[in-house]
Amino acid sequence: MFRKIAKENLKKWLIDLKTQAEVLTPAKANALWTYRNFDAQDIPRDFQNSRLPPKGLFLESLRALFEWKSPGGSLQVHPLPALDGPRVIFGLRPCDARALKILESVFARDYPDVFYLRNLSRTLILGQACRVQCEGSFCGEMGIDSQDSTDFDVFFREVPQGYIARAITARGTALLERRDLSEESSAEEWNLARSEPRGSRERPLFDLERVKAAVAESFPDENFWKRVSAKCINCGVCTYLCPTCHCFDLCDLQMPGQGIRFRCWDSCAFADFTKMAVHNPREEKWRRYRQRVSHKFNFFYQNFQAIACVGCGRCVAHCPVNLDLRQVLLETAR
Amino acid sequence: MNSIKMNGSAPEKNIYQPHLMEIIKVIPETADTKTFHIQFVDPSLQETFSFLSGQFAEYSVFGEGEATFCISSSPTRPDHLEFSVKRIGRVTHALHQLNPGDLIGFRGPYGNHFPLDRLKGKNLLFIGGGIGLAPLRSLIHNVLDNRTDYKEITIFYGARSPQDLCFKYDLETWSRNPLVKMITTVDVGDGDWKGNVGLVPVVLEEIGSSSDGAVAITCGPPIMIRYTLKSLEKLGFTPSQIWTTLEMKMKCGLGKCGRCNIGPLYVCKDGPVFSFEEIRSFSSDEF
Repeated sequence: MFRKIAKENLKKWLIDLKTQAEVLTPAKANALWTYRNFDAQDIPRDFQNSRLPPKGLFLESLRALFEWKSPGGSLQVHPLPALDGPRVIFGLRPCDARALKILESVFARDYPDVFYLRNLSRTLILGQACRVQCEGSFCGEMGIDSQDSTDFDVFFREVPQGYIARAITARGTALLERRDLSEESSAEEWNLARSEPRGSRERPLFDLERVKAAVAESFPDENFWKRVSAKCINCGVCTYLCPTCHCFDLCDLQMPGQGIRFRCWDSCAFADFTKMAVHNPREEKWRRYRQRVSHKFNFFYQNFQAIACVGCGRCVAHCPVNLDLRQVLLETAR
Repeated sequence: MNSIKMNGSAPEKNIYQPHLMEIIKVIPETADTKTFHIQFVDPSLQETFSFLSGQFAEYSVFGEGEATFCISSSPTRPDHLEFSVKRIGRVTHALHQLNPGDLIGFRGPYGNHFPLDRLKGKNLLFIGGGIGLAPLRSLIHNVLDNRTDYKEITIFYGARSPQDLCFKYDLETWSRNPLVKMITTVDVGDGDWKGNVGLVPVVLEEIGSSSDGAVAITCGPPIMIRYTLKSLEKLGFTPSQIWTTLEMKMKCGLGKCGRCNIGPLYVCKDGPVFSFEEIRSFSSDEF
């Protein structure tokens, strides 16, 4: 189903949704783009993508899992509930929506994780086609179409008068049934609304199939990984900014008479990540960098038939030592 | 206005929340190792809980954290669970402070298990080093409780010194069992030591053990395992006749937290029990 929505009506529609749900839209906080509670102002037009990926809205950087109390000295453990209540996020980009699907495969398999899955099921995700190719990004190479995606409930393409919206899921279709704020549109109009993001490359940087095979083949090449990881300073920012990185730690916080166990983001870039009593299999930096690249392009693919990278470019754009994953991938395939 | 429709239902179970268990007994094994006997506080869990030899669990000291240990008791003795802990880090230090009556958290069982089906009708050679006897002990008790399913049982156990031998009460029982061949060795003996002196792989080669119709199951420090493997090969054991259980850093035990992988394999789900044939085919040496 396709609907045409004027800009002013999108705003009205989101304001209306606020009566039923938490509504998040792109906003600047401390000069960086993020998603914030919709303030009923105009949807920003200069938004490219959020600095931190929206994964944190689903896999929170810190999530309390359960609590214990010892009233009168007898220990009791109580679950802490997953968040509930409907939520709408407008403006996500196709790369980040794909990443949420990738994370879903991890958190749904074998032992379903109520916290992540509930966050997904309670959120309507409304996506936006990209108008600019982000710095450092290689989404096209990773098979992400910046102008189309089925990873959303509704996907929006901007047109001069407003948006053409395409409903993807049943709940997205139900949401678009708002006849007074939108008009009927068509596949033709939808196709016409497709645009080429500014700054997009004419030719892809690399061929994904080739890179995927090359990363696997390069695994035993110690010298290669030592060379490409030489300037890494183990800061872990690539993993925190990554929409698909999901490694976590479980920690306790003890307060007088009570405490909580929480889950928090962790990083395979840190030397103590795999440290055990007597040895550490990834003590050396090159092993940790190799792990990160191999996990995304090789191991994850073997386990989930998907590559755990969406080419958003955040790790490239914000690495403090300009360690460019794209160059490393190119070098494996050289 | 159409109301918001949400997708189906998410699971209810909190996979991170442990069950409460009470410590019913603490056995000091060595100067830095203790064995804990625990029981579910909820009696219905005690009834329904089941596991297999080789599986592990996550144990919590609330306020200090959670750590991974194998279940060192046998499913054939379901009265309580046992696990053994060497005092090394934060959680293990906290565990060592606990006494009978104290409560801990328990999540599990997790991981795969020793392949009992492939051990039946075979001669079994157990080779343990130090605290590495703990996971083997679950299997040893298991096969001893079904003794007629197996042929010869040889238990080969080594530690640094007589003081470092764990499970001395088991060693004592096994050495008196006429249906078990028990060999103990220490790296360095003392005046009272009457057993073998020498490293596990060296003594193993000296004493020898036929590989015909046999399966070797080994666990111990990585260096011991490496040399034991060479000795077993000299004795004619093929990689598919040798099994071990691997240790890796874990947090969740559920295949999600991202630590315990060896290449694409997650030790918490695909392991911890592997044959050396499998280990030989690993694409990564990071374990």
